[in-house]
Amino acid sequence: MRFVIRRLLLFVVALFGISVVVFAALRILPGDVASIMAGINAPASRVAQLREQLGLNRPLVAQYFDWMGALVTGDFGTSILTGRSVTALIGARASITFPLIIVGLLIAMLIGLPLGCAAVLARSPRVRMAFHVLAIIGGSVPALWGGLLLILLFGKGVGLVGILPSQGFPLDGWGEPVGAMLSLILPAFTVGIIVGASLMRYTRAALGDLANSGYIDMARSCGMTRTQAVLRVGLRLAMPQLVSVIGLTFASMVTGVMVIENLFALPGIGNGLVTDVGNRDLIAVQSELFLLAAFFLTIGLIVDVLHRLLDPRLKNASGVSEVSA
Amino acid sequence: MSNNTQITVSHNDGGRLRYGFAGRAAIVLKTMWRRGEGKFTLIVLALWLVVALISLIWTPQSLWATDGYHVWAKPSASHWLGTDGTGADVFSWLMAGSRTNLLIVVLTVAFSALWGLLLVSAMVARASALASASVVVIDALISIPTVLLALILAVPLGASITVIVIACGFGYGLNLARVARPSALLAARSSYVESALANGASGWRILVSHIIPNIVPVLAVQLSLSAGTAVLAESGLTYLGIGVPSGMPSWGHSLATSVKLINVFPLTVLWPGLVVTVVVVALNIFGDVLRDAIDPVTNPALRQTAASAEKEDER
Amino acid sequence: MSVAVEGLNIAIGGTTIVADAALSIADGERVGLIGSSGSGKSMISKAMLGLLPLNATVSGSIMLDDMQVVGAAERELADLRGRYVGTVFQNPAASLNPVMTVGQQIGLPLKLHYDLTKDERVERVGAMLAKVGLAKEIAVKYPHELSGGQQQRVGIATALITSPRFIIADEPTTALDSMSQRQIVDLLTSLVDDAGASMLFITHDFSVLARATTRCYVLESGRIAESGATAEVLADPKTPESERLVSAARSLTLRSADGFQSAKGDSHER
Repeated sequence: MRFVIRRLLLFVVALFGISVVVFAALRILPGDVASIMAGINAPASRVAQLREQLGLNRPLVAQYFDWMGALVTGDFGTSILTGRSVTALIGARASITFPLIIVGLLIAMLIGLPLGCAAVLARSPRVRMAFHVLAIIGGSVPALWGGLLLILLFGKGVGLVGILPSQGFPLDGWGEPVGAMLSLILPAFTVGIIVGASLMRYTRAALGDLANSGYIDMARSCGMTRTQAVLRVGLRLAMPQLVSVIGLTFASMVTGVMVIENLFALPGIGNGLVTDVGNRDLIAVQSELFLLAAFFLTIGLIVDVLHRLLDPRLKNASGVSEVSA
Repeated sequence: MSNNTQITVSHNDGGRLRYGFAGRAAIVLKTMWRRGEGKFTLIVLALWLVVALISLIWTPQSLWATDGYHVWAKPSASHWLGTDGTGADVFSWLMAGSRTNLLIVVLTVAFSALWGLLLVSAMVARASALASASVVVIDALISIPTVLLALILAVPLGASITVIVIACGFGYGLNLARVARPSALLAARSSYVESALANGASGWRILVSHIIPNIVPVLAVQLSLSAGTAVLAESGLTYLGIGVPSGMPSWGHSLATSVKLINVFPLTVLWPGLVVTVVVVALNIFGDVLRDAIDPVTNPALRQTAASAEKEDER
Repeated sequence: MSVAVEGLNIAIGGTTIVADAALSIADGERVGLIGSSGSGKSMISKAMLGLLPLNATVSGSIMLDDMQVVGAAERELADLRGRYVGTVFQNPAASLNPVMTVGQQIGLPLKLHYDLTKDERVERVGAMLAKVGLAKEIAVKYPHELSGGQQQRVGIATALITSPRFIIADEPTTALDSMSQRQIVDLLTSLVDDAGASMLFITHDFSVLARATTRCYVLESGRIAESGATAEVLADPKTPESERLVSAARSLTLRSADGFQSAKGDSHER
């Protein structure tokens, strides 16, 4: 319990730190926010007007507290370019990205965990070698290319078995559920295969280390076969580590799927962020970055607490301990 | 006193000093070559280097030869992989991309190595406040995704190689520091360092002659993984428009072009991706093979040079 | 259970670890296997259990009563382990399952081999805890909450809970201080004798061996160099290796946990 309180405290401090960093980064970086936003050829009057509108004439500290005060009340500002509220923008984008990465992660787990276990369980050197090669190649494929290959196989129009849409999301979004789901299948598999390869490597490494450990020998000497010991004892012991990896992978996928969203023309969070940066919509970018960071931190918090619950050696230890298996 | 210091140092890297860098490198390369995956990685990386050098003086077609009559053309005898929207030769651009990627990889690895070593030395510092603070800071910074950092950097810098190198090198350096910390800490607290310190050796000297030699295996693996990841990151960032600027050849650029060519001649898509994948596989394997080859425990040839060096020491 | 090893060769990744080893243990006999670290003694015990790493190759014969262990299927070996053959490991902190309570750990062989109700298992575990000199309440604790000596008692309880016919003790005292060493050896030998089981006791320490065994084999770089009654070998070592081990045992009265050697042994498999 004390751990959770400390961890929450750390969470709040980190959130504050990140808000300062994000705020400062967009102001310290070379170039005046207003003139960047107005564009290179904008007349001076337009820049001055923008500066007034954004409150950029006020002292930095006051600007920061304005922003923070609005954030606390759930107001993430208004996109200068589209005039829509950033909250609505992010909501619409999240409704695409989250289904995509949740399904992608499920596919990745269905691929990575069994293959990782199989790689450790295999007895024949040849089969082990094959898994090794598979893991290395899986981790070396550019996401873009992986997506292209899937489009070449299944994409409507160009694919060998052209059955699935490979471009865009229905205009109505989830108002058109079948179309929405269909358009997410190829991108979700692209994400799933690429993340699955990395999950496989983690599983194989974590389980492989344990398979040579005294814990597995002990379980086997009690009467388990090697397979039983690896799957029952090994997986359980690797669980804290795997939960951490899966949680952090999930967090990183929000921005990690940027390229795939772009390739499949899905207006998701990452793709939107690229667009906003490209359009120099800095007010939107500022709030989006903060929300992303808050999301990472939240996942990190959950992962840390889970990690502790799963390992009895950490339960009673105080503070951030460094017990290693 | 100075005599004492000398003994400690020569004990640690007598072999290295005596046999010289070239001699050791030859042994290491020979050992790598003996393994199947060593052959593969050395051949691929050598090809990469050769192609990059050739592309500086010759490509099948000039990069800037545009042809308004043959835009988005299918592969032909004069354009092996077809042409892009300006009629430029896709194969020539792919070939020339290898030099940009080589530059990016070299810069990224160098940057992450320096940055990582700086962090390592902070983490094993005697001042415990600095050491523990750096551990916390690294844990906090490591979760920043490379793409996000690149996006922020791209706001003032625009699309450029600098964005890729800083964004990647920053994250990889953090990772390197975290992975290298245990062995660096072990070396920093060893009796060799204790005695070197007692003899008045400087922190810099200890870093170079005691800590770095002990984390070389970790460095080899991590840096070559970083090199592979940098190639992948380049393709993603360039495709998103925040990496290599348009007008400069790179594999990411070729991949992005192939996305558009998919409707013209789908199989063209295979080549740039295949090049990237093969190179990244080679880089990923390179670290493992190199680690085994530079480790005297697993490489008997190196052990012999070290042993004979030690014998000379005893005389 | 009687044990007969003949012409045993073990190689790991092409390196010969054990060459042409032969040893025998009669029913109810306590026999020692001594050698310095890296001499291959742990590999012999792992071969008896079928626990060698995947890249190991074995030839020769290991008979446990009338079962041939070399080349046996993993399923058959698993039926043997924990039921007829119990094992006590060197380092309990690195072998007792950290996410299992002591009670679950000791009850594991029962759970795997016998069809008992939960209450029956709890009762037997309680009785076993008493036999190894631990309080019943310890059953709900986790291994990391115990001292090294207590952990090794849990290890012994796990090995003996099914009343196996043969015990392999692989350096069971190496990770302990000298006081606990003596207690653990005495506990182990008395329990083994009470059960009428035979035992292979592996160590690199003659002072421990003398308490635990009546007969012993000296292993030197993978080969059996000498064998005979433990007292005789101790009094009159014939090979340089035995002599070295004997004099080491005499000169060291107080020993600390041999961390360096065990670390070396662990990394060996990779």
